[in-house]
Amino acid sequence: MAFPAVAVLLGITIFPLLYVLRLTVVSWELTTGFPAQFVGLQNFVRALTDPRFWNAMKNTGTLVVAGVGLQAVLGTGLALELNRIRRSRTLLMSLLLIPTMIAPVIAGFQFRMIYHDQFGPLNYLFEVITGGRFRGYAWLASPPVALWAVMWTDVWQWTPFMAVLVLAGLQAIPSELLEAAEVDGATGSQTVWRVVLPILLPVITIGTLIRLMDTFKLFDIVYQLTGGGPGNVTETIAYYTYLQGFKFFSLGYTAAMAFLQLIVITIVAQRFLHYQERVRGGVAV
Amino acid sequence: MKRHSRARRVLGAVILATALAIFLFPVVWMFLTSFKSEAEFFSYPPVFIPKSFSLVNYLNAMRFPPDGRGGLQGVRDSLIVSSGSMAVSLLLGAPAAYSFARYRTGGPNLSFWVLSTRMFPPVASALPLFLLFRSLHLLDTHLGLIIANTVFNLPFAIWLLKGFFEDLPAELEEAALVDGATIFNAFRRIALPLVAPGLVVTALLSFIFTWNEFMFALLFTRSDVRTLTIIVPSLVGGHEILWGEIAAVGVVAIIPNVLLALLLQRYLVRGLTLGAVKG
Repeated sequence: MAFPAVAVLLGITIFPLLYVLRLTVVSWELTTGFPAQFVGLQNFVRALTDPRFWNAMKNTGTLVVAGVGLQAVLGTGLALELNRIRRSRTLLMSLLLIPTMIAPVIAGFQFRMIYHDQFGPLNYLFEVITGGRFRGYAWLASPPVALWAVMWTDVWQWTPFMAVLVLAGLQAIPSELLEAAEVDGATGSQTVWRVVLPILLPVITIGTLIRLMDTFKLFDIVYQLTGGGPGNVTETIAYYTYLQGFKFFSLGYTAAMAFLQLIVITIVAQRFLHYQERVRGGVAV
Repeated sequence: MKRHSRARRVLGAVILATALAIFLFPVVWMFLTSFKSEAEFFSYPPVFIPKSFSLVNYLNAMRFPPDGRGGLQGVRDSLIVSSGSMAVSLLLGAPAAYSFARYRTGGPNLSFWVLSTRMFPPVASALPLFLLFRSLHLLDTHLGLIIANTVFNLPFAIWLLKGFFEDLPAELEEAALVDGATIFNAFRRIALPLVAPGLVVTALLSFIFTWNEFMFALLFTRSDVRTLTIIVPSLVGGHEILWGEIAAVGVVAIIPNVLLALLLQRYLVRGLTLGAVKG
């Protein structure tokens, strides 16, 4: 019964994979009109010596480490707060999950309005707070800030997801455990740090790995907010690969970069599977 | 649990209220902007509540293309592509998920491979799919976009449904098999109705993933097919930004997402973690 699905998946994933693999060893520049030419591993050498590739990798790395880290920390904090209340928690979670569910492109548009230098509510907020000393800041056009503005859009979308995920983990902790900690004289923060967080670790790890894979592919928000600019300071690896493939039509090079990303993702996916088995095996939730 | 002091409870309420404000403000701002007049969104200090809630932005944004960028076409195309990919993923995915769950078809390697196709960077499959679609004349068609989205939705459906099937006790189907039912009938008449909630969750999430999808829609379509996610960025840019119109398209575009967040809340964790964590 798995046959039809596996056959279709083979068709729509193995074909692209093999095709990408084949393209990695050719030089095929559509703009020059020359036919594809075998060049061995030169495309990979080009990637590893291309400063723009490394710049994109660095930006993506920043988004992954700082952005996903922030989501994990804020999400866990939010979950601990949500766990303290009883009334209206369900409604609150539903409302908080709206950012997670909407399309990244739409989220990008919302933040374009919010970050707007002349008419945006964010600058207005800062102007009011600082009594008019701070106004008209161009968040998306300022090199030191633009990447963080992109990051915040992703953090805004996915922190609630982390919170609801961690909350699910929290609710699965047997209350006897927390009572035992209390009987043993643990303070509130000791219970959180020594009992609750270690139990939650596998769940937080699962969420972090999922977000890591998604953020590594971050494209929509960049496209909508900055187009990789100013300069290349917000260019992610997915965005740079898209430019090489569909703007500069450098097909072999695009394939090589795509292949490198595939390797990274596969390694992370393997870790995800490992933790998924642990979590489902009854270690935690 | 310890009884919380009054001060701590107030602090908690403040934290949650602040979080709610932060996470809802951009959505509310878009909603309000969709009703503003041109003078209102180009004013400083910003206008928060528009003077009149006029629908003029909606009417402008939704008009069917004289200029090829009408929001109604976006609604139509997003609906077609999202439902199409959802249907294909469920039809193919449910039997496959059942077979993985009950008979461990292909062992762990096959299921890992299925999962890893879900994790594929879209930019990696975009180039070969583009060249393939070009030679098959599938660019700028609903079918092409449905196929491209199925690359991600089918493994998602298989993986999520597999978990739902694994949660079912096997005894019922075993009894049916003993009574002479075929494996397919045991699946269709017994297991499938029992995972109905799982099917609904999987269907709705597959729908939303395609609804939100951007890169394939950007690369594989031009004018005949234009999903809502394409229309929004295509209106942004140039010299003038049509804030009101884009916001109106945006509000229409997030209706299914908001409904899903409100209705499916308990299942979203499970869906978004591919079944790893049950909410």
